[in-house]
Amino acid sequence: MKPSTVPATLDSLGTIADYVMAAAASAGLDRRASYRLRLAVDEIATNIIVHGYANAGHQGVLELRADIDDRTLTIAIDDTGVTCDPRQAPIPDINLPLDQRPIGGLGMYLAMCNVDEFVYEHVGDRNRTIFKMYLPPTALEEEKT
Amino acid sequence: MAFSATLTVDSGIAKITMSGQLDASMTPVFQREIENAQTQQAKRLVLLMSDLDYIASAGLRALVFAKQKMGRAVDIYVVGAQQQVLDTIQMTGFDRSVITIETYDAEVIENI
Repeated sequence: MKPSTVPATLDSLGTIADYVMAAAASAGLDRRASYRLRLAVDEIATNIIVHGYANAGHQGVLELRADIDDRTLTIAIDDTGVTCDPRQAPIPDINLPLDQRPIGGLGMYLAMCNVDEFVYEHVGDRNRTIFKMYLPPTALEEEKT
Repeated sequence: MAFSATLTVDSGIAKITMSGQLDASMTPVFQREIENAQTQQAKRLVLLMSDLDYIASAGLRALVFAKQKMGRAVDIYVVGAQQQVLDTIQMTGFDRSVITIETYDAEVIENI
């Protein structure tokens, strides 16, 4: 799929979701897997926009890329906001009742739980977050016919 | 990316009918209705979710606010959530603090 660049604002979340869902449809992901991927990308994009850019007083863009091979759908987000490795985020205690919960931490947790592979890289001045979903065998068979 | 939340309060029961896609950009809309429910001193908060197609963690955080602001005694009902929305609620453990039911049950919800 053609890469897409969107402004780092919360108003871009709809465009990002559309891009991910189009990639998921092209790859043949089912409804549930598509939703999970969209959720993961949405959570990380929100985090980049809010913490990487807005709260740090920066403006910028998110660059989206989708690659589909015969086994995997890969979505990558590149940004130049404040570095924040999602893998270092504390794991929320999901057993706590709501009235005792800290605010925050759930987005990173949901992002990492909902994809088959989650990769974060920092190269030069860029953060790159990579989400991978394994394609179901039925999609592979359909592609071959 | 349309989202709407409509609040009605009757006999201490606040109902918010939610529809569309609740991502972080739309959370203030939901938050505002929760705050309105709180100011009307609702004893129960009922979230009608059958037309809600998507919820992000920002929407769930609004529920944390709701529970913390309205108090432990206020039960939160999640009614008719779609499977993927329910998956997220369960994955985050929120199903232990809210009551999830498939359809609106007046006998249970309105029995205050």
